[in-house]
Amino acid sequence: MLKLLGAVLILLSGTLAGFHQAARFAARPKQIRELILAMQRLETEISYGFTPLPDAFSKMAEQLGEPLRPLFKRAAHYMASSGITAQESIQRSLQENWKRTAMKTPERDILHQLSFTLGTSDRQDQIKHIALAAQQLKHEEAMARDEQAKYEKISRSLGLLIGALIVILIF
Amino acid sequence: MFTLEEDKAYKPDRSDTRTFLDLISNHSLYTLEEELRKGFITVPGGHRIGLSGRTVLSGGRVEHIRDISGFNVRIAKEIQGAANEMMPYLYDVKEKRMRHTLILSPPQHGKTTLLRDIARQISRGGSLIADPPPQGIKVGIIDERSEIAGSLHGVPSFDVGPRTDVMDACPKAEGMMMMIRSMSPDVLIVDEIGREEDAEAVTEALHAGITVIASAHGSGPEELRNRPAMRRLMEERMFEMYVILHRSGGRTSFRLLDRQMRGLQLRMKGEAYHA
Repeated sequence: MLKLLGAVLILLSGTLAGFHQAARFAARPKQIRELILAMQRLETEISYGFTPLPDAFSKMAEQLGEPLRPLFKRAAHYMASSGITAQESIQRSLQENWKRTAMKTPERDILHQLSFTLGTSDRQDQIKHIALAAQQLKHEEAMARDEQAKYEKISRSLGLLIGALIVILIF
Repeated sequence: MFTLEEDKAYKPDRSDTRTFLDLISNHSLYTLEEELRKGFITVPGGHRIGLSGRTVLSGGRVEHIRDISGFNVRIAKEIQGAANEMMPYLYDVKEKRMRHTLILSPPQHGKTTLLRDIARQISRGGSLIADPPPQGIKVGIIDERSEIAGSLHGVPSFDVGPRTDVMDACPKAEGMMMMIRSMSPDVLIVDEIGREEDAEAVTEALHAGITVIASAHGSGPEELRNRPAMRRLMEERMFEMYVILHRSGGRTSFRLLDRQMRGLQLRMKGEAYHA
């Protein structure tokens, strides 16, 4: 009886792990898309609104959902506190909050790159850099969609199968 | 610590200047394009930071400064009561209004501090100005460099009086006209006039019956005559009172001249304030 319960538990956890992995594959392109939209909003804030970077980041944070919101909120918070440059603020926030997102290293690198130029040049230059980042993010989004199509279903069934394998091996 | 010895001095490098620029621009250099064109930015508190670096030209005019490497920080200081000794002379008891006044001095003598205090006092009224004490009147400050009121998000950070409107970061000539049209001030206060269009706007204001209290660079009336716009204002006797500041041994004192440039006898020596 106890053995049966154990087997069910293992199967269940394997399935859940599989579903979790699949959900990450599905969430990644969605979050990248959100990030691209955020970039476009930032571009508008800078080119038409002349909004200072901390304010622009807070605004973007308000409009974004989890898990992207803390990324911008923390960066805005660091910028508002004294003595930290925009670059450091963004990089710190990336370090703290990136793990919560489903996104991977390439997207992170793009934002990291952008942090060096954000706020340090005139409007035209800013807009170019943001547009470039958005362009790169779009590329990553396409890749992420490919991956999603390939691996989302596989990882779902793989979780169940691995669970089953462990059960078979144990018995 | 400050030192005069070169090898003990702290030498800021490129990353220091970059960090400083990032912080004083509120991480947003792109919001300061106009300021960069003029070569200085005003930070919260009314402090002014002059910038030097490599300029970028467009059509022969400076469009931008890049590779900014030099900063000159001017700390704004509010001295309430700076104008105390001067106030009685600026008020026309008979006509019950302020006199058209031009304050003249070289840079760093406290023109702006003085203007700020004059604005505060006439906007509030009170016994320091004359006896019986006049009521406060409406004052409009055109604060092109955000130095008089030190406005941050449109709110002055210095006390400029209760009946004072501030047109922040507005070109002087245009600002004066806007104030006259829209805010019906009794007194207009502007800093550092000198260009042709400033003089025109001052004339316009005076004809509209509005008192103008302005300041200009220059150590004396002789220097003013060399500038065409200012000379016209002088020859047309637009200003009723000229205040000339000079500084010796850390004290600032003032001289008064009337509209014909004759010196006025002060009842006591004008020891205006410690600057």
